[in-house]
Amino acid sequence: MSTQPTAKGLRIAGLESSVADKPILRGIDLTVEPGKVHALMGPNGSGKSTLAFSLTGHPQYAVTAGSATLDGEDVLALSADKRAKAGLFLSFQYPAAIPGVKVANFLHAARQAVRPGSLPPAKFRALLLEKMELLGMDPAMMGRYLNDGFSGGEKKRLEMLQLAVLAPKYAILDETDSGLDVDALKAVGESIAALRASEEGRDTGFLIITHYPRILEYVTPDVVHVMIDGRIVMTGAAELAHRIEREGYDRIREAAGAIA
Amino acid sequence: MLSVVAPSAGLAARLAGFDPNVLDAGRRLAALDRFFSARSGREKPGRFWRVDLEAQVPAAASVDPSAGSVSIEGAAGRAVVCDLASAAREHAGLLSRVFGATAAGTTKFGALATAFAGTGAFVYLPPDCACDDPIVVRYAIPGGASVFPYTLVLAERGARATIVERLEAGAESFACGVTEIVTEESAGVTCASLQTAAPDATVLQTRAARPGRDARVSWAVAELGAGLAVTDVSVEIERPGAQAALTALFFPNGTQHVDVASTMRHDVGESASETIVKSAAVDRGQARYLGNIRIAHHAQGSDASLRDDALLLSSRAHIDSVPALEIAANDVKAYHGATVGALDADQIFYMESRGIGRTQAERMIALGFFEPAVERFPTEALREELRRALQSKLP
Repeated sequence: MSTQPTAKGLRIAGLESSVADKPILRGIDLTVEPGKVHALMGPNGSGKSTLAFSLTGHPQYAVTAGSATLDGEDVLALSADKRAKAGLFLSFQYPAAIPGVKVANFLHAARQAVRPGSLPPAKFRALLLEKMELLGMDPAMMGRYLNDGFSGGEKKRLEMLQLAVLAPKYAILDETDSGLDVDALKAVGESIAALRASEEGRDTGFLIITHYPRILEYVTPDVVHVMIDGRIVMTGAAELAHRIEREGYDRIREAAGAIA
Repeated sequence: MLSVVAPSAGLAARLAGFDPNVLDAGRRLAALDRFFSARSGREKPGRFWRVDLEAQVPAAASVDPSAGSVSIEGAAGRAVVCDLASAAREHAGLLSRVFGATAAGTTKFGALATAFAGTGAFVYLPPDCACDDPIVVRYAIPGGASVFPYTLVLAERGARATIVERLEAGAESFACGVTEIVTEESAGVTCASLQTAAPDATVLQTRAARPGRDARVSWAVAELGAGLAVTDVSVEIERPGAQAALTALFFPNGTQHVDVASTMRHDVGESASETIVKSAAVDRGQARYLGNIRIAHHAQGSDASLRDDALLLSSRAHIDSVPALEIAANDVKAYHGATVGALDADQIFYMESRGIGRTQAERMIALGFFEPAVERFPTEALREELRRALQSKLP
């Protein structure tokens, strides 16, 4: 057995990334520790989603410098599916619709891929029904085609269902709160809380991307980062989210500019 | 020594061996003439399509009235289900109401199938007869043979049934068939066809239905096998209130060619039709789809939709999709949507981001692409069989 201490956490260092040769991320340093909740806030176009896609291996996002490790493993060297198997999860802001692929079959394939052979079909079904109830989802959704004709709220609930079912080591939630009504937001918040309280999800680290602090009323962040123009310009405690709500990003931008 | 016999003379000489009860010699010869004189309507080459359908003529020596066989299962009670020769002997009156009642026999390949009609099935559904289990008509064509399967369905007022046609054909065989469906008022007939011929077989099929007033006809056609599969499927809507559905799926792989044409002909208003076509091509597979909707000028209140999606799974595969809407009436609903494309990168990434490997993701998405068409086939066993057949073609 190795006595080498493993560098636990989702550790991002000096990460730079481009989309269609246009540099977006200009050196991101950020570490999400197991069981911790980090909020990543910032105005539209600041690069938050680019960070999410760069970490999870979207083919259109090219990492040009820096590193990212997941509990010591170099995730940038892995294909997208292997990153998921390593324990990384992304809740998409705009999940793809895949007509003809039923939700139940997709979830089963995903669970089998990430946690092979862990649950017999009957128990898996029971697990799904339990998580769906928590999210206020109609069990009939299992027979529908993946995100096909889903409302915005249904899509986000399904992303949260996947989070609950896959119980990843690190979860990036990309604007999961946007476009949700209060009930849906509450269901999403409770689902995250339930995962964090569970055996499987107790050590899950979260990176919650949002530009409004609404979701943070349900999930209290340990750390809040502010991203502007592809850089993290400010990091603080939960209070920072409220400051942003009061003052807006322009004031933060000015303050950060003054420091720089 | 070389003997030169024109194909028409060689084939005409074979007509004598076919049952005169089914069709007399004079009408057979007239049909054969029609085959040689008619054009397929598909002479114009597409961007990729180069198959000469005019040249598809069976070798006279391979034409043998006893070569093909048909087996028919299912149906009980009042329905009449028998082979074509028995129907000609015992139910000539009923048979004459459906045999040649559609335009199928006037097309080039429909005429050829008419000339050599012999191996076939007849289904008669008396008034209000409802068959719960599907009636299965299975044609088996041995290697090297030329066979002309002819299926006829006559449904009386209020009758309901599902027919499953299966065509299995051996190596280097030639099958040229017709299916005709005629229904009376308020009847409902679904006809699903599965063609699983050997990869070097040639299969040419003409299918036509004529629903009665307030009747419903559904075609579900899966062209899975054959080196060259040509299918013409149509509904002739001449009675108000009729509803027609047409589902076609095909997936040429290897060097397969598949050519499908569908026609919804609205000759009367207050009628509805829905056409859904899902095609994919892989390896050097090629497909062509000609989707026709014709609404006559007096067919006001017609409601027709045509949805046609094509998926290209390799750079050497081709699909030509040619929709044609001829709408002469001014108070109709007509919808047409078509896509041709490769697998969607965002869909693949979404699945990969859940741990599903690229190959599995692509297979799931490609199979899912067909699913809206697969779901319109009757019985779960048949749908599962279709899914397995499609899966086996995927890389």
